[in-house]
Amino acid sequence: METIAIPAINFAPIMPEVILSIFAMVLLLVNVFVPSEHKAYLGYLSLVGLIVAGFTLIGGWGVPLSAFNDSVVRDNFSIFFKGIFLLTVGMSILISDQYFKREECNLGELYPLLLFATVGMMLMASGTDLMTIFLGLEVLSVSLYILAGFNRANVKSNEAGLKYFLLGAFSTGFLLYGMALTYGATGTTRVVKIAEYVSQNGVVAQNPMFVIGMLLMAVGFSFKIAAAPFHMWTPDVYEGAPTPMTAFMSAGPKAAGFAAFMRVAIIAFPSLKADWSDLLWILAVLTMTIGNLIALNQDNIKRMLAYSSIAHAGYALVGFTAGNAEGTAGILFYMLSYAFMNIGAFAIIVLVGKKGEANNNVMDYAGFGTKHPVLALAMAVFLFSLAGMPPTAGFIGKFYLFSGAIKAGYVWLAIIGVLNSAASVYYYLRVMVYMYMKDPVEEFDWMKLTPAVAICIIIAVVGVLLPGVVPAFLLNLAQQAVLL
Amino acid sequence: MTSYPILTILIFLPLAGCLCLAPVWSRRAAVRPIALGFAVAELALAGWLLVTAPGMPTAPGAPAGYFLWEDAAWIERFGIRYLLGMDGISLLMGALTAFITVVAMAVSWRAVTERTALHYFLILLMESGIMGVFLALDLVLFYLFWEVMLIPMFFLIGIWGHGRRIYSAVKFFLYTLAGSLLMLLAIIGVYLIHGDATGTYTFALPLLAKAPIAHAAAPWLFGAFLLAFAIKFPLFPVHTWLPDAHTDAPTAGSVILAALLLKTGAYGLVRFGYPLFPEAARGFTPLLSVLAVVGILYASWIAYAQEDMKRMVAYSSVGHMGFVALGIASWSPVALSGSILQMVNHGVTTGALFALVGMLDERTDTRELAAYGGVWGKAPKLAFFFLLFAMASAGLPGLNNFTGEFLILAGVFRTTPAAAAIAFIGIVLPLIYTVRLVQEVLFQTERQPLQLPDVTLREGALLAVLALIGVSIGVHPKPLLDILKVPVALLTGTAP
Amino acid sequence: MLGAYLPILVLVAIAVIFGLCSLVFSSLIGQKKPSVVKLAPYECGCEPVGSARERFSVKFYIIAMLFILFDIEAVFLYPWSVLFKRLGMFGVMEMGVFIVILFVGYIYVWKKGALEWE
Repeated sequence: METIAIPAINFAPIMPEVILSIFAMVLLLVNVFVPSEHKAYLGYLSLVGLIVAGFTLIGGWGVPLSAFNDSVVRDNFSIFFKGIFLLTVGMSILISDQYFKREECNLGELYPLLLFATVGMMLMASGTDLMTIFLGLEVLSVSLYILAGFNRANVKSNEAGLKYFLLGAFSTGFLLYGMALTYGATGTTRVVKIAEYVSQNGVVAQNPMFVIGMLLMAVGFSFKIAAAPFHMWTPDVYEGAPTPMTAFMSAGPKAAGFAAFMRVAIIAFPSLKADWSDLLWILAVLTMTIGNLIALNQDNIKRMLAYSSIAHAGYALVGFTAGNAEGTAGILFYMLSYAFMNIGAFAIIVLVGKKGEANNNVMDYAGFGTKHPVLALAMAVFLFSLAGMPPTAGFIGKFYLFSGAIKAGYVWLAIIGVLNSAASVYYYLRVMVYMYMKDPVEEFDWMKLTPAVAICIIIAVVGVLLPGVVPAFLLNLAQQAVLL
Repeated sequence: MTSYPILTILIFLPLAGCLCLAPVWSRRAAVRPIALGFAVAELALAGWLLVTAPGMPTAPGAPAGYFLWEDAAWIERFGIRYLLGMDGISLLMGALTAFITVVAMAVSWRAVTERTALHYFLILLMESGIMGVFLALDLVLFYLFWEVMLIPMFFLIGIWGHGRRIYSAVKFFLYTLAGSLLMLLAIIGVYLIHGDATGTYTFALPLLAKAPIAHAAAPWLFGAFLLAFAIKFPLFPVHTWLPDAHTDAPTAGSVILAALLLKTGAYGLVRFGYPLFPEAARGFTPLLSVLAVVGILYASWIAYAQEDMKRMVAYSSVGHMGFVALGIASWSPVALSGSILQMVNHGVTTGALFALVGMLDERTDTRELAAYGGVWGKAPKLAFFFLLFAMASAGLPGLNNFTGEFLILAGVFRTTPAAAAIAFIGIVLPLIYTVRLVQEVLFQTERQPLQLPDVTLREGALLAVLALIGVSIGVHPKPLLDILKVPVALLTGTAP
Repeated sequence: MLGAYLPILVLVAIAVIFGLCSLVFSSLIGQKKPSVVKLAPYECGCEPVGSARERFSVKFYIIAMLFILFDIEAVFLYPWSVLFKRLGMFGVMEMGVFIVILFVGYIYVWKKGALEWE
């Protein structure tokens, strides 16, 4: 009896995933043996895991490698995104301990779940097979459903978890059906092979199965990046989920969704760029406009940032529509900057909030500027960055995206983009109006700045301002990452 | 002549001042001298340049006319450079900035009692931003400073303002931002079109201006620039943010807003708008002239109807800036020098008027014309200065505004006589509301008993300096015009 | 091309015919002695009265979930054992990793007390 030939297995491309999985399992075990008052150490341990995984990432830059029969790949594109994920998770972990202690649900499962979610995101970014991407998406999603409903004592958190689960499962169905149809039409799930099929068979638009598959996949990914009109779940989930998890969800999984979407759309269907662009054009305009318009009259700051995060996905879609080097590199840069500014803002929200998700209204920030000038300044920096004012990373990111759009000839899209961004300034200013121009109602004496949160805020401020002033390094990285 | 990065120092010295305020944040007594010290140091530097720079040769590597020049790589991927340069125009504007900042600090010396450190922090930050706008020659760098100067003004109006301060602050911010974001797109457009045409992708003004855009999109691009600048100017009909912002701003804010921020719009048009799109700009000349003339007449008319002193002065600003726009639109050397001179004049005069209104407001807590009367008898020194600057604002010969307006009209008369003819009416109209202002406030019999102590030493000294500058420009504008001669000739293509 | 599906069609047909035949013939040929108990709908010996929407203890769900989770183990182990020799050492290691991961879950579940009924 002959033995089955085992293909060569190279773990190098998925080293970070392997390390994080091991750490997650170790944490899971440690968690059940550690008394509840020492749960904070689990956080530190998971940070160690992230750092170790980060080190294994660095070496791969510029040395592309694919493994497991071409179903995962290590290229600059995936490494850049994995960096974003590690950063996002790390910062969210830094603000988690304080929040969950206050909410009295500081359970150790949080950290393994976050690490598993990271593994999922990483697989999405490095998957070059529809199945790998789907696998990553599911690992991510299942962890997220639990994380969104993590605060079991809070009704809104439960609602968020359930809603996210139902709509997430629904969208996963779309995605999987789209993948199945694409497989049916092309006979392969390898992204590269699909691209070959597309280029060989000329006018694929005449094959309805393929077109429908493509559209369904676009719908599935649009759900994940919360692009309008598939954004309905976002506000409720973001508002209800525990604040650090909202911070995480708005930055990490969104970036992962973009990574997978870009991988599929730009590699597999390059010859269909024109068709994609028409679709993305509409998505981008809808997403920006709906996100910004509804954000204008939100009182709950988490909800406001949820809508704003929809709008930011819209800006990124502008670069996606452009589809050129500037636009796609712009998305990478923007996702990184967005992680810094958004999680920074959420860190402040964690600080200002009270037990039971109280004190999350914009009005509750009245007089914050006089009571805590430094923290308020940090918040102002984040908000200005979200609004795209120079000299912040948010400005450079938008500049990048819009110049990509103009270069590709989408001048109107860029104009709609900047008009949107002008409108968005209103609701960011509103927070600042309350922080600086209203008299304090409260003393903000319950606020306690723990070192972990302080570190997170410092990282965020540096991450927002440094690329805003000297962006050359990150721009080069982003540019190298999209050479694919 | 010197290897010191003087321009960088000019921009970042106030910013350094901001940082120095941090350690003494809550000690009002320490904050004010430190802030003022930095502002005065900046003024000294600018003053020194004003005296020595006109004699300097062109800096190495710089185009003709620029005697200070700094060029360094910044974001090479996009061809964005840290490019600063100073010619006669930026020199005057920079000196005005440094001077007005000191004035703004002086007028708010006593008025601001709450969150003093933040107040001076914002003024210094704004000085950095405005200085950057006047010195930057890279479009993106310019845009960066352009946006940076918005933020402190938003907070100044919103925190220390009066009345509907928050509404005004937000309106100001959104109005200007909407315009400038479109300008950003136009900047990117210029970059790409120029890059496609010539092969060098750059945002540097000297390179871009060498090969002006001859693309069909040029009018649109110029339109976007014009919109951003017109909002700042402010030109009719996008001026509506100004009366609100001016009226509700604190005195220091009004002074800076009127004297400096409005100038950035005019400066942008002169420095970037016309040189980048000479062809397209010519096409816009009729529109710009019409808007300017309409603005002049309309603003004067509305100003007459105001009951609030500050609002009246604010509308007079719209009128004066209309003259500046008219001069720029004609793009003849005489009118252009007049416009730039008028920018300085308007800065001094209107700045002084806002300061005076602020002083009256501080004393009596009202800015209603109807509340005043008999100030001449009660506070003669204050009244004297009030009369002087009001008359200067109305364009009385011998005072500074007259020289600017005269030059503008003289220049415009050659290019578009019709516009000049109508604008002549615009010279007379301000006299009407100014006379009303002066009559109601100073000479009307006292309508109600007012607590009106005369000017203090600080205020007196400040006003005296402003008056001195006003009168000396009015009598002898030649030194300033000499500074402007070379850059204006270069800009209008009439250099020998 | 569809010819390949013919055997399946035949199989389906046979299955349907068989099912129908047994129903029809048993009702035709069989004896009928109905009683109250015999006519009652059969439901696990429980009284079929009342609302069907009862609330089950959450413990049932946990048991069901754990069953599915660890049942998968057997699903994977079975084909592996069939091909054990052909997969060789590689198969042993892969399965080892798989079992370890499951074991981590098992320990977690055990320590959490999910295996205790009370």
